[in-house]
Amino acid sequence: MKEKTGIVDTLEERQPYIIRKQERGQVIPLACDNNSLAGAISQRACVYSGARVVLNPVTDAVHLVHGPIGCAGYTWDIRGAKSSGIETNRSSFSTDMKEIDIVFGGEKKLSNAIDELVGIYRPPVVFVYSTCIVGIIGDDLDSVCKTASQKHNIPVLPIKSEGFKGNKSDGYKAACDALKQLIKRPEEETVEKKPEVSQKARKPKINILGDFNVAGDVWLVKPLFEQMGIEVIVSMTGDSTAKTISRAAEADLNLVQCSGSMNYLAKWMQQEYGIPYLNVSFFGIEDISIALRKTAEYFGSEEMKKQAEEILETETNRIMPEISRVRERVEGKKAAIYMGGAAKALTLIKGFSELGMEVVIIGTQTGKKEDYEQISYSVRNGTVIVDDANPLELADLLVKQKADLMVAGVKERFIAYKLGVAFCDFNHDRVVEFEGFDGFVNFTREVDASINSPVWKAVKQRILKPEGVESERTAVKENGENISEKPCAKKYKEMHMDPEFLRQNQDDAVESQV
Amino acid sequence: MTKRNYATVNPCVMCQPMGSALAFKGIENTMVLFHGSQGCSTYMRLHLAHHFREPVDIASSSLSEKGAIYGGRENLKKGLKNVINRYNPKVIGVATTCLAETIGDDVSAIIREFKEEEGIGDDPEKDIIIISVSTPSYGESHVSGYIKALDAVVRKFAENSEKPKIPEDIEIMDYMENMEIMGYTEIIEKEKVAETLQEAKSPDIKETTNGKLNLLPTESLSPADVRELKEILEATAGDYIFLPDISETFDAPLGNELPKIAPGGTRLSEIADMPNSRASLGLGIVSKNLALAYLEESHGVPGHSVPIPIGLSNTDSFFTELVNTIGCPIPEEYQKERGRLLDAMVDVHKYLYGVKVAVYGDPDTVFSLTAFMLELGMNPVLVATGSKSRDFGKRIKQIFEEIRPELEPVVLDGIDFDSLNDAVSECNPEILIGNSNGRYIAKARDIPLVRVGLPIHDRVGAQRILTVGYRGALELLDRITNTILEATDTFTAPVQVEPAAYAGQGAEKEFMEGAQ
Repeated sequence: MKEKTGIVDTLEERQPYIIRKQERGQVIPLACDNNSLAGAISQRACVYSGARVVLNPVTDAVHLVHGPIGCAGYTWDIRGAKSSGIETNRSSFSTDMKEIDIVFGGEKKLSNAIDELVGIYRPPVVFVYSTCIVGIIGDDLDSVCKTASQKHNIPVLPIKSEGFKGNKSDGYKAACDALKQLIKRPEEETVEKKPEVSQKARKPKINILGDFNVAGDVWLVKPLFEQMGIEVIVSMTGDSTAKTISRAAEADLNLVQCSGSMNYLAKWMQQEYGIPYLNVSFFGIEDISIALRKTAEYFGSEEMKKQAEEILETETNRIMPEISRVRERVEGKKAAIYMGGAAKALTLIKGFSELGMEVVIIGTQTGKKEDYEQISYSVRNGTVIVDDANPLELADLLVKQKADLMVAGVKERFIAYKLGVAFCDFNHDRVVEFEGFDGFVNFTREVDASINSPVWKAVKQRILKPEGVESERTAVKENGENISEKPCAKKYKEMHMDPEFLRQNQDDAVESQV
Repeated sequence: MTKRNYATVNPCVMCQPMGSALAFKGIENTMVLFHGSQGCSTYMRLHLAHHFREPVDIASSSLSEKGAIYGGRENLKKGLKNVINRYNPKVIGVATTCLAETIGDDVSAIIREFKEEEGIGDDPEKDIIIISVSTPSYGESHVSGYIKALDAVVRKFAENSEKPKIPEDIEIMDYMENMEIMGYTEIIEKEKVAETLQEAKSPDIKETTNGKLNLLPTESLSPADVRELKEILEATAGDYIFLPDISETFDAPLGNELPKIAPGGTRLSEIADMPNSRASLGLGIVSKNLALAYLEESHGVPGHSVPIPIGLSNTDSFFTELVNTIGCPIPEEYQKERGRLLDAMVDVHKYLYGVKVAVYGDPDTVFSLTAFMLELGMNPVLVATGSKSRDFGKRIKQIFEEIRPELEPVVLDGIDFDSLNDAVSECNPEILIGNSNGRYIAKARDIPLVRVGLPIHDRVGAQRILTVGYRGALELLDRITNTILEATDTFTAPVQVEPAAYAGQGAEKEFMEGAQ
């Protein structure tokens, strides 16, 4: 086996970041959580991007990027996060720093820009993101924001997100630090929050952390809890407002979905306000069931548990025919997962298993050691696990692992397409909900459409070889002498029809079936 | 127009490194590396992938905090090494970002050092060519990034292939000066243009030429546009060098394998041959074409610029220039295409006459589009570009004076989409023409948007949008007309029975007076 020289052909320094789950031994020596290698073409973005994707769904905030125009331009309305009301977050605000601002400092411009925007938009909060050069020229964001805050009597929060100061995860943290400042201490209640007490006194309350309402996901999840008699105070940050975020500390429980970005905030809320948290997912029947049952169990009410079971039964029965129909069409297909964070990757493994599909490649941009341990535990032997992959590695893996479908974001989409591999977007760009019961139906339908489209049959033949096509054969006979004399006809003969990577090769077979 | 002075709301430009990538990606076997933090390359890859629907690999030196403090030397070298190792390119275009520029890395020196360490020489036949260009995000826009990158490419190859005729120090001074006045020009004054034209026409301006014609645009054209122009050149000039050629690299056929670097692009031997060409033809007259000027000043290649050939008169000028420079006749095929365009213009003139249109985008594209709108009898009430440009307004006014002096358009440069929105409220266009980012305005005002330019990420086919040549004009004409027909079918009364649509205050006044 080529195991010694690496699973794929890549840079030596990248080898430790790619492993294959083997039959024996759970301990994974996968390298992760490091800065990206120069020149390796990481799919990761920067600290600013991490902060921006977490905060961007706060709908009524002015998201002001203090930096040159590019940073704001490329992140304009980048997340398909839906709002049920105001959409200030869909505009792109920038101080558009020019050379003169670099030389003389951008504080004055920033302060003027804040005044201007607060005057026009009257937002309840302004997030001010710092970009690379702000960190270099040393604008004092804290003091500008503090002054502006006092002047306008609203929180103006500096987000320390200089692109080079770490990676995307550091941006998540910076975003959570800003959210912390928006959360207010509840006034009336200082009583210790015991589920029994609070449940009797009033309606149980929860927050959903790490759901960004992409395509309206949250709107398919919230009603489930409401049916169980639970009030969802806020989803952070999907479809949230400064006001709903400020009430977050009134909750009895936090449900954390995107752990990579929100565990930090959840831990803080536990310390600061005594609110416990559970890691859950709202994707796939199994994970939704776990989420509802765990929540009901936490509140300990029999009534609630009964309601949860009722919801699960009705909803599962409702969608199962459609899921089964698709399952028949996609069963046994091999999936590749490459996600930003580990939580989504993990829940996808379960989702695919509900469809009878097998995961052959799984990777993330920002997974931590514990995440990869859990991933390794969840996948079959032979699955390749990769951290901070690059396009060449992904392309090579898709071919070698014979993936039929890839689930990732836009940058990966065209790699898959060029290789003739089906693709499903589970990132900012998708336009249909994937969470909740109906979301899972949407997902399965998309998987079906992606895998079973006849275009994949068409693209198996990349070069037209007239001799090989039945209907063309007669034409060749009729004008035989003309065609064979054309130089191109000769050329076509020499070209092979089926690309090498599509051919079955027993030696290279995916090992997960062992 | 806008009440804002400090904040930019919804930018109408991208940053310089993006423009450099668009230029570098049109060169054979070339990789791009951004010297800066990881996010820059990822964001721009995303942006370009959205638009072209192709894999876009752009490397980064992935500067970390350490690199930012102690300098990015090691990161840049490592990045170059890894790119060479994995992609085996013939050329690496290194564009700086604001971070690299602000920490003050001497990129040329680092590259020199790297080449020495790795034993990379200057033999274009066997050595990797590393071209650096200074493109901080805080300077100008993607348009200038594009122009600067092309200039850097042409210079690098010219230097490699032959000794410059002018002493180096003067050349550098000249270069610096160019960079300084880059801000969309004070182009070649009229005399100089005439002079150049004269020179171009005289056959013995260059003692030794390869007989080829250089084609250098000032703005990124779509792959379909490049294909069309190449076809025209094939049929007329025969021997030409088109830089940069993204017709294949950003619109690659689904082939048997996925190459690490998309095939296609201008061949390196041809770029090296550009200083020997008989003449250069620049596409775009609003922004200064640095590469064209360099070839003229340092290598005596006469250069002349025409507008990007969008629309009838602009395509006419393009063909005329080809005929004058090359001395070839206009092929019958194109005469027929021109005839079909004329036929179509006659067919649709009633639908388009007086329709108020707002055009926005990159300066030269907007200039050419506006000229076409005027030829069609439309009323461009608002003409805007996101780039700051001194010449833009002047050029646009000129074209109005030539074709429809009675109209009074609002002409804006350096706008963002929020100020465009304000202007749209004031000018009340019935249709927008520009990139996808105008969709918010179009939707809010319930007017149609005809998508032209970059980015177009909310519709498919951006790479196949053809606007240049007679064929491009035809396609655009059909698209605009059908869009108007679609809109008037559903939303408003047909254009031809709505007097207000016969805009142009002068024309309207005339009409009224005539009626009396």
